[in-house]
Amino acid sequence: MAIQLAAVAGLLAGLLAGLLAGLLAGFFAGLFAGLFSICWVQAVMSMHWSGWQRHRGALLGPGLLALVLSPALIAPWLPLADPTLTEPALRMLPVAAPGHWLGTDALGRDLLSRLIWGARSSILVGVLATLTAAVIGSLIGLLAGFFGRLTDALLMRGVDVLMAFPYLLLALAIVAALGPGLSNAMLAIAIANVPFFARAVRGAVLEIRHQAYIDAARLAGHREPWIIVVEVLPNLVPTLLLLMTTTLGWMVLETAGLSFLGLGVQPPDADLGAMLGEGREFLTTYPRVAVLPGMVILMLVVGINLFGDALRDLLDPRLHDRAVRRKDRAKDRGEGSEKGSEEGSDRGSERGSVKGSISDALQDVSHRDDCHQGAFADAAIRNGSSLFAALAHTDASAVAAGNAVADGLALKSVDQSYDQHADAWANVSGRLGTASQPALLEVNALSVLVPGQCGPAIAVDRLELRLQAGERVGLVGESGSGKSLTALALLGFAPPGGGLEGAVRFDGNELLGLDAESLRDLRGRRIAYIPQEPLDALDPLLRIGDQLRGAIQAHLVAQQASFESTARDRAKAVAGSDADAGSSANVGLGSKRLTGASAGVSKPETLSDVGARVKALLAMVGLDQVRGIQRRFPHELSGGQRQRVVIAMALAHEPDLLIADEATTALDVTVQAEIIEVLDRLSRSRDRALLFVSHDLALVASLCERVLVLYAGRLVEDAPLEQLLRAPAHPYTAALLACSPELGRPEKPLAAIPGQPPAPRVVGLNGAADGFGGCRFADRCPNAQPRCEEQEPGLERWQDHHWVRCWFPLLRSD
Amino acid sequence: MSAYVLKRLLLLLPVLFGVSLVVFGVMSLVPGDPALAILGPYATPERLAELRAELGLDRRWPVRYGIWLSGVLDGDLGRSVSLERPVLDVVLERLGPTALLAGSALLLGTLLGLAAGMLAALRHNQMTDRLVTFGVLLGISIPSFWLGLVLILVFAVWLGWLPASGMTWVWSDASGLSAVPDIAWHLILPTLSLALVAGGVIGRLTRGAAIDVLASAPIRMARARGIPERRILLVQALKSVLARMTPVIGLQAGFVIGGAVYIETIFQWPGLGRLLVEAIAARDLLLVQGGVLVLAAAYVLVNLVADLAQHALDRRTRAA
Ligand code: SF4
Repeated sequence: MAIQLAAVAGLLAGLLAGLLAGLLAGFFAGLFAGLFSICWVQAVMSMHWSGWQRHRGALLGPGLLALVLSPALIAPWLPLADPTLTEPALRMLPVAAPGHWLGTDALGRDLLSRLIWGARSSILVGVLATLTAAVIGSLIGLLAGFFGRLTDALLMRGVDVLMAFPYLLLALAIVAALGPGLSNAMLAIAIANVPFFARAVRGAVLEIRHQAYIDAARLAGHREPWIIVVEVLPNLVPTLLLLMTTTLGWMVLETAGLSFLGLGVQPPDADLGAMLGEGREFLTTYPRVAVLPGMVILMLVVGINLFGDALRDLLDPRLHDRAVRRKDRAKDRGEGSEKGSEEGSDRGSERGSVKGSISDALQDVSHRDDCHQGAFADAAIRNGSSLFAALAHTDASAVAAGNAVADGLALKSVDQSYDQHADAWANVSGRLGTASQPALLEVNALSVLVPGQCGPAIAVDRLELRLQAGERVGLVGESGSGKSLTALALLGFAPPGGGLEGAVRFDGNELLGLDAESLRDLRGRRIAYIPQEPLDALDPLLRIGDQLRGAIQAHLVAQQASFESTARDRAKAVAGSDADAGSSANVGLGSKRLTGASAGVSKPETLSDVGARVKALLAMVGLDQVRGIQRRFPHELSGGQRQRVVIAMALAHEPDLLIADEATTALDVTVQAEIIEVLDRLSRSRDRALLFVSHDLALVASLCERVLVLYAGRLVEDAPLEQLLRAPAHPYTAALLACSPELGRPEKPLAAIPGQPPAPRVVGLNGAADGFGGCRFADRCPNAQPRCEEQEPGLERWQDHHWVRCWFPLLRSD
Repeated sequence: MSAYVLKRLLLLLPVLFGVSLVVFGVMSLVPGDPALAILGPYATPERLAELRAELGLDRRWPVRYGIWLSGVLDGDLGRSVSLERPVLDVVLERLGPTALLAGSALLLGTLLGLAAGMLAALRHNQMTDRLVTFGVLLGISIPSFWLGLVLILVFAVWLGWLPASGMTWVWSDASGLSAVPDIAWHLILPTLSLALVAGGVIGRLTRGAAIDVLASAPIRMARARGIPERRILLVQALKSVLARMTPVIGLQAGFVIGGAVYIETIFQWPGLGRLLVEAIAARDLLLVQGGVLVLAAAYVLVNLVADLAQHALDRRTRAA
């Protein structure tokens, strides 16, 4: 009786286990297939929008896959010879023999039939191994990630140990123990891949675990298993999908390899790996028997890998700008900026999982053509720190942009708008004046274009700027106003995929469109740049001393083409026999000082001077007392020390123009004050000009004599510091002042400006050349009138040296 | 000898311990009587009983593991049934050729991969980049055992330029230094078959790393300082890429060792990989166990070296 009971129980348990395993496998297989096809359709659809031209290669993957997969899938219904039927009389028939298109093998079996059945077997084994590895690996990863602590530590140490084995070796050992055979080989390969899945899934779970909705589920009284199944598992699906696709290729290769060694699929069953192994004997006499199966494996795996790449491009959460762009779009459609930014930060915390990416991608596809609704800027424009990240990595784009973009449709319409504002033009030239002293920097109608989804968008619009030697000017604006793009443009850097337009004359010579070598010569030697984040500005792998020496040596080598000489050659070429050309270039050369002013150290001329120069520079920024500083790495310094080093490097060649781009923003307040002091000291020179770019009016006030205010890429106010602080004429400047705790009038409460500045707009949007048509501040301006929406005000003289772009400038309130 | 090196060396111990545990554990997967599996069906009952006692099969597994481990630490990996020699002797004898093959393949693969990856990154989104990217993808997707056969077919069978099997010519009796050209000659094809595959993975990852590095703030800042492009690439960018790639190259050693199993089989290279395949065919389990243990330990050491190299390049790395 007891025995019978046990038998029944055993039977039931077996059935149940089988059912469960089947269900699980079926579930995963179905999921896999379903999502696979969804993603595939998406991939194809999105390719339509981003242009077939660029993605033609990606079609090769699905094509190859279809070529191999489709006959393999329908093999049982194809009119093929029995792949295991041996006919010794027909052995080694050549290609195109009657009845055997690809001939036969050593046992007279039809090669084509064996190839197709073999592919079927290889794919099946590979997919099964992947599924097994995924199921076991995810289970481990889930447990480790969700329960943490001891469970996590134990499981992950185990996984680490498995990873300490050379990939195939563990599988070999397992096969050796279990004995050769298809299922054993599959299991062995699967186990060897478990660590990979376990790690990735654990990472994804750790990300998901800290999301708000998991806490909510816990608070709602749900138990852990419920949470795992209902909340965590679905969010893991895209991650798993990606992992499985990218490992599938390996799995197919490795299982075929085991069969090749005779440890997997056993004869006479057809399998690509086993066929290769059998064909090896006849390599010299009948190479095709071994070569063909290998080619099919290659096609299959190339197809899978190409497909995996395309899938990764579509799903990878690290391709974040999609989310950022979506945020912009939401904002531009007026859905409320709070919601937009919330959504953005939400996305930002989701790195590990791919949750939402599919719907993101779908939205992307469906909204790709709604350019008319609003303007999209490149993600980089949104945020000051990533601005520098958007820097072009070659000068080629800057050079090309200067000319090529201008030839395009884009700037034709910008040019037209100048006619509309002919009076503004006159004013501008009045503002910049024709001083007796030639300007060090003269910027005329500088526009910076960034790539938008619907064409080039104008991030900086026809900026006019003039800087004399000895002058210290602040450039103020919110993040996204284009101030950092302006700073970089002055060094000849254009945003990637964007361009620069207009004229930037430095020391009398045009800078835009210069060749790479002349620009290089200019950068660091005559114009120096100090970026926001000192840790980014220094190479983490090089010692401080080496980096300083590198900066000095950059301009020691006898120059083949210097900025001045190239510009002079050009001027000559343009001016022909014009005698002025030569002399004006000489002014450029002559104005170049040969001795450093601020520290009284002469510029290094030879390599032996470099060491002394390094010491002098360190002393200049007050770092000479730090022991062994030259041998340290950047991460061994404090933030303030790092920024001092960056400043020292900027001063290595006593530049004529120093551009500090949010140079103190990343530092805490006390350090900030110290750095401002250093900058103040080192920029107080009759020969040097300082352009201090910042969002913080208070900082600007502590350093500069003149302030330019930038709003949404447009210069809106230009005034001497005193006057700007006392009586701002532009409503935006007034609002900025009111926001500043240091500068705001004490009796007024601290006020944030409601709303957000508009993103750069595509040329020609709304029928306007600049995409706006009216005053850009209009939707946030408390004084806006109907006229403001209709026509953009020009930059007009308000008082002596005070210029403002507003129809209704503020009168002095006191 | 910094704290990092010490810490990293200490971390080696638990990993090696775990590896030995897994290798031992795999043996317990053997269905039925392990002694019978090891000795085969023709073993005498006396020998079976002897081996059972030797393996401690009548005792609990921690005790068995202890016995086995102390043997391993004494250099006793058991006796190979098929070769009738101590496993350790056989394994050490075969380790040299495998190390030579795997080492030269890893070196060549690294050079190829780094060069291809850097080139693609420098020409990002241009035709060269696409060609390299596709070539690298081919490298990843190609079955190395098939590549080896094709190379034999082309260079040994059709062109007759290079030898297709063995490590030296059969008739050669050169030894010591005079055997070097001979071995080098035989090394070319197997190395190539392995290196092209390893180079694929390295090239793919190098490309990604180099694109990141070239677009990174320190590199762009160097451009803003007017540092010559050549110097930026050769000093800064290369160092960053190498620092990122060293651990990957270390991991790649694992793929090369695994791939050596196929390649040694195809090219009749007298290494450990081929030995393993033969041992599996002969059901010589102790030999398999010993071979896997030694190769795994070697791999762990290679990764240690890779980590130390990375630390030398980038001092910010910490021992986890
Ligand atoms: S022009 Fe009109 S909307 Fe613009 S700032 Fe002046 S008052 Fe405000």
